[in-house]
Amino acid sequence: MRVRVLLFAVTILVVVCSPVGRRSRGGDHVVGIDPPSALARKVDQLIDAQLIDERAAPLASESAFIRRVTLDLAGRIPTVGELTRFRESERLDKRAELVQSLIDSPDFDFHQRNELDLLLLRRIKRDEPWREYLYEAVRDGRTWDQMFREIMMPDVVKPDDLRPAAYLVSRVDSLDTMTNDSSILWFGVNVACAKCHDHPLVDDWKQSHYYGMASFFKRTFRTRKGTLGERFDGRVKYETTGGESRESQFMFLSGATIQEPELGLDDETLKAYQESIKKAEREDNAEAPPAPKFRPREQLVSLALHDDSGFFAKNIANRLWARMFGRGLVHPLDQIHTENPASHPELLELLADDLHRHGYDLKRLLHAIALTDAYARQMSDNSGRPGDPSLFASALPRALTPYQLALSFRIATSSPNDVRGLNLEDDWPKRRSEFERQTESIANRFEIPDEDFQVSVEEALWMSNNAQVQNDYLNAGSNRLVGYLRQIADDEQLIRSACRSILSREPETEEMESIAAYLNDHHERRDDAIGHIVWALLTSPEFRFNH
Amino acid sequence: MNKKRDDESVNLGLLSRRTALQLAAAGASSLAANMSVVDVLGGEAMADQVRRSGKRVILLWLAGGASQLETWDPKPGRATGGPFAKIRTNLPGVEISELMPKMSTRLGETAIIRSLNTKIADHGTAYELMDTGRVAEPSLKFPHLGALIARELGWLDSQVPDYVTMYTSTEGRREGSAGFLGGRYNPMFLTDSMIPPDIRRLESISDVDHHERSELRRRISDSFTKRFDHPVFDGHNAAYDRVRGLMSSDHLFNIDLEPQSVRDLYGPTQFGQQCLIARRLAEAGVPFVKVARAWWDSHGQNFETHQELCADLDHCMSALLDDLKSRGMLEDTLVITLGEFGRTPKINGSLGRDHFASAWSCTLSGCGIRGGTVYGKTDDDGQTVVDGEMNAGDLFATIFAALGIDPAKEYMVGSRPVPIADFDSTPCREVLA
Amino acid sequence: MDPSQLRQIAQRKCQDILFCVELSDDNSEAWVGSSDANVYCVDLTSESMARVPMGGDGHASYVTGVCRYGNVMITSGYDKHLVWWDTDSRESVRKIVAHNKWIRSVAFTPDGSRIISIADDMRVRVWEASTADLIGDVSDHAVMTQQNYPSMLYALDVSPDGELFATADRVGHIAVWETESLKKIQQFDAPKMYTWDPKQRRHSTGGIRSLAFSPDGKRLAAGGIGHVGNIDHLGGPSRIEIFDLESGSQVLEIEDNKKQGLVEQIAWQKDGEWILAVGGANNGFLSVFHAGDGKLIHQVDHPGHVHAMWHDEDFLNLHIAAHENMTHWTMREQEV
Repeated sequence: MRVRVLLFAVTILVVVCSPVGRRSRGGDHVVGIDPPSALARKVDQLIDAQLIDERAAPLASESAFIRRVTLDLAGRIPTVGELTRFRESERLDKRAELVQSLIDSPDFDFHQRNELDLLLLRRIKRDEPWREYLYEAVRDGRTWDQMFREIMMPDVVKPDDLRPAAYLVSRVDSLDTMTNDSSILWFGVNVACAKCHDHPLVDDWKQSHYYGMASFFKRTFRTRKGTLGERFDGRVKYETTGGESRESQFMFLSGATIQEPELGLDDETLKAYQESIKKAEREDNAEAPPAPKFRPREQLVSLALHDDSGFFAKNIANRLWARMFGRGLVHPLDQIHTENPASHPELLELLADDLHRHGYDLKRLLHAIALTDAYARQMSDNSGRPGDPSLFASALPRALTPYQLALSFRIATSSPNDVRGLNLEDDWPKRRSEFERQTESIANRFEIPDEDFQVSVEEALWMSNNAQVQNDYLNAGSNRLVGYLRQIADDEQLIRSACRSILSREPETEEMESIAAYLNDHHERRDDAIGHIVWALLTSPEFRFNH
Repeated sequence: MNKKRDDESVNLGLLSRRTALQLAAAGASSLAANMSVVDVLGGEAMADQVRRSGKRVILLWLAGGASQLETWDPKPGRATGGPFAKIRTNLPGVEISELMPKMSTRLGETAIIRSLNTKIADHGTAYELMDTGRVAEPSLKFPHLGALIARELGWLDSQVPDYVTMYTSTEGRREGSAGFLGGRYNPMFLTDSMIPPDIRRLESISDVDHHERSELRRRISDSFTKRFDHPVFDGHNAAYDRVRGLMSSDHLFNIDLEPQSVRDLYGPTQFGQQCLIARRLAEAGVPFVKVARAWWDSHGQNFETHQELCADLDHCMSALLDDLKSRGMLEDTLVITLGEFGRTPKINGSLGRDHFASAWSCTLSGCGIRGGTVYGKTDDDGQTVVDGEMNAGDLFATIFAALGIDPAKEYMVGSRPVPIADFDSTPCREVLA
Repeated sequence: MDPSQLRQIAQRKCQDILFCVELSDDNSEAWVGSSDANVYCVDLTSESMARVPMGGDGHASYVTGVCRYGNVMITSGYDKHLVWWDTDSRESVRKIVAHNKWIRSVAFTPDGSRIISIADDMRVRVWEASTADLIGDVSDHAVMTQQNYPSMLYALDVSPDGELFATADRVGHIAVWETESLKKIQQFDAPKMYTWDPKQRRHSTGGIRSLAFSPDGKRLAAGGIGHVGNIDHLGGPSRIEIFDLESGSQVLEIEDNKKQGLVEQIAWQKDGEWILAVGGANNGFLSVFHAGDGKLIHQVDHPGHVHAMWHDEDFLNLHIAAHENMTHWTMREQEV
């Protein structure tokens, strides 16, 4: 357990060396030997330790914090009710309390489901049973390694539950896609460049790594019925740049290999099995033969979970960090290798090790991150030169995912009386579940943001001219924001209310003036003007991003 | 790790692996003023010069794979030749299929390339290859030609769309991808309707209100970005800033505004009408328009299929070239006819031809092209290229060179410098003016 | 003669595609039109493909139609020409440009005085057989399809008594003509023979590829292909429609999904009881259907797409021109 020894050393070092000047923080809810808040403190120490020349941004305002953390843990903006309750709370630990309540909310399960879907499948296709599976897994508290097993070997873990098989099924037609996606998504390693030659820029990755990973998937097949299976034989053959023909080994990214045992089948049986696999791939009603004893995907899972180099844990720790901060500790996320060290190597070790020790409980890690000061910082203002983003001295803007945006759109355009929110409505879980369904069609319109994300002009045109936006969301019904605002006679009240609903904050003086001027200029058509104000707030970058 | 890009006078030849990695890390954070996270290694001054030249591309995409034997490289009298004769053209010694009679008199501005060998003969992979000029890699989302051209020839704040694709048939329809260039360069994708979605103002809002609310939007946005600035917010605003301009370009898609004589020139078919829209867009400065004509995949009845589709192609391509020429636009407009591959010389039992990527043809007309050229040669039966073999990368390099874009120009993507035309590709000087 | 006895006797292979076939009176020789632009004389006494090309000035493209009266044989081709041959000397004797586009078929009137040709210029032309003078030039077939693409005129048959002949095109339109006056006396439409795909692939396939008058001249059978889902391939049901000439109505339609592809030729049993349809997609078929109720009587595969057949009255000898081969079949009852 090299990782742990190293980590221990680092922790001591950090405890000894790091400055003690910490900002106040609310007390911890979770009582125990190792609550998330303790992990949060260690995280802050490691982040602060590198902020020598850089000044950390101040903590974000209450309004900015509740918007950010609600988007990150509940997948939506806060309702006006939630915002007001939070602001009015006088508890010293109200930020921690908010985080705890979001972590425990039904919203968390939906959001976590959506995030995992985006990570693992949504870029390829939408699959309702798969989303159902993810939701159940999150809701039931299944851990990341458990889900890894279920998704990677659905045919072994639960042969009659086809839902988690969607990950493999959607990639089974292309060994390259299966190999690359799996290396990137589960281990943070992009070995695609090593397919045709040893990686030109990264010494770590050789052709043997690429084909080693491919060999774990080579035998996977899909039957006509849609179930998955593995063949009894088949290795990946490849040619080196020197023109030499090779057969790959079952080799994990760490270099660890597995020797395949003798098959122990006579030729005739093997041939019969091969035939029936072929038949099962072609025909609706054909049965696949019994599974072989040696199953490469099972071997991969086992190697990955018992791997001292820690790709499995580091990858998900890095991804969760990036989700909360807009940038990974290792950046880009698929470049975990020796020539691209983490900005905070000890921190990545700490998170990976914590995950490992707590049974890959992703919720705990998100909880801890949400409690850090690093997470709670303001975006960098325009006062100085832009800081180095890899120091995490200030918050980075992050484009909302299609789900976050669609749900936030729904909530922002609702009357605050109609959508009150978590712990403010009797049947909030049901309401939230309905929102997921209702916002589906508009979620499909938005692009899934990646590193190069830019808001497209199609989106701007849609927001500007589409009838659905106007009729479904900006209508003047009594349960809609526009309808609600029309009942407010006082301009200042109206503007405050619109800003709270859409931007989750009070208006700045300047905004108050521009919007009031707009109302005044259009006073003869005040009702129309209210619709335009709501539209203008919804189409501001402030709404489109988490920050 | 965090060196500023402008500290580097980058010469890729001298770029070490370590530097490349450092640049990659810096590249993603130092969002350039042009809002793309993709950095360009190479002179932006030259790029602007190219932009100012007002060049553009119309791609006639022969989806499904047109037969080279029934168009540009006929082999009558051979077992593989099929029933059609070849006809003489306005170029001495050059003959093309009798299915292209109108084009046979108009080859003065066109180069025929008869020596494509692109190897990949399944639709999906070949489509990707011929749309990007390189073999796909799972880890790198390479932009399609239209996005590359839009980026190189278009203005960031363009008031017209800069990458328009028309693909009405459903078979083989794929929306173009801007890949690592990002959503700014996504195509405006027209399928059923030739009016782009959401480009027209709703009846329920007046033009004045539409304008004034966008002014209000801008003020609210400015108030935010004054406090917190980040390039992604600029990108968001830039997208909204283009809305009104794009809305005012909706007339470009309306061919009713053309005189009847011009509409007659293009003819009644959908392909003809879309070619006319393409001309209108090019005239208004849209740098890249793709008109997809599907579906040429004639596994059965190749000859009947080509009688139908070549009639359409021959007429519409001729009309387009004539129209561009008479407007003085052909010198600045590159017209490409290309599909994902050609068709087998061997004629199958259904009198069809199957997928074939080893020896096929395309044409380049107009901008930057040495007209009246026939480049490359296949053997007597059309089975192999015997002279001037060209792959997808070479074709793309040639296209870029014709437009004045340096084919060796590189983008910095993640940890990799990626050239705009594939590694080891060479522009074909013989077809360039 | 027993259609269920239909069986192949011989196969002669070649590298070219054979589009039409005619037999000598003594069944010892066959003439076939080829994709290599030759008209071959095939020696049927040899079991393998033994053939010599006819001499003189012939065709320059696919040879798609053949008809014969005595020693005068006339072929048609995609080179727009009709060629007259002397079957005794095996030489061409006359060659004329007869149409502006591909000629699809040519037929003699039963008295041997005239020939009729059809082509993709959508013209129906009648010629004096002995002089090659053009006697008539009519059309009832639109040059363009409804979708503005060039149409094609595929099928022609002359009634047994020679009084009438019929022509049919790509979009499924059939015209019946009086041979003497060249007046159209009847028309039928079989739109199901034509598949226009407006959405996926935006072009068309199909067309009526064969016509055959019944022996009593009262019915007309038309063959082609039914609706094709994926028009990249000939993956639609082989299709036959039978019309009653007097009432002008369709009396039977047959769609057979077991054998997909085009029905390239139809032959009637001499009492009008059943019909034999031949054709194919990538491979060929021979199907026998009851002419009254359309029931399938017998069906066999053919190696390669069948383009044409020649048969004697009792189907004791049936010769097929196909993709890269020709075959010899019979319905002679087998001795037990």
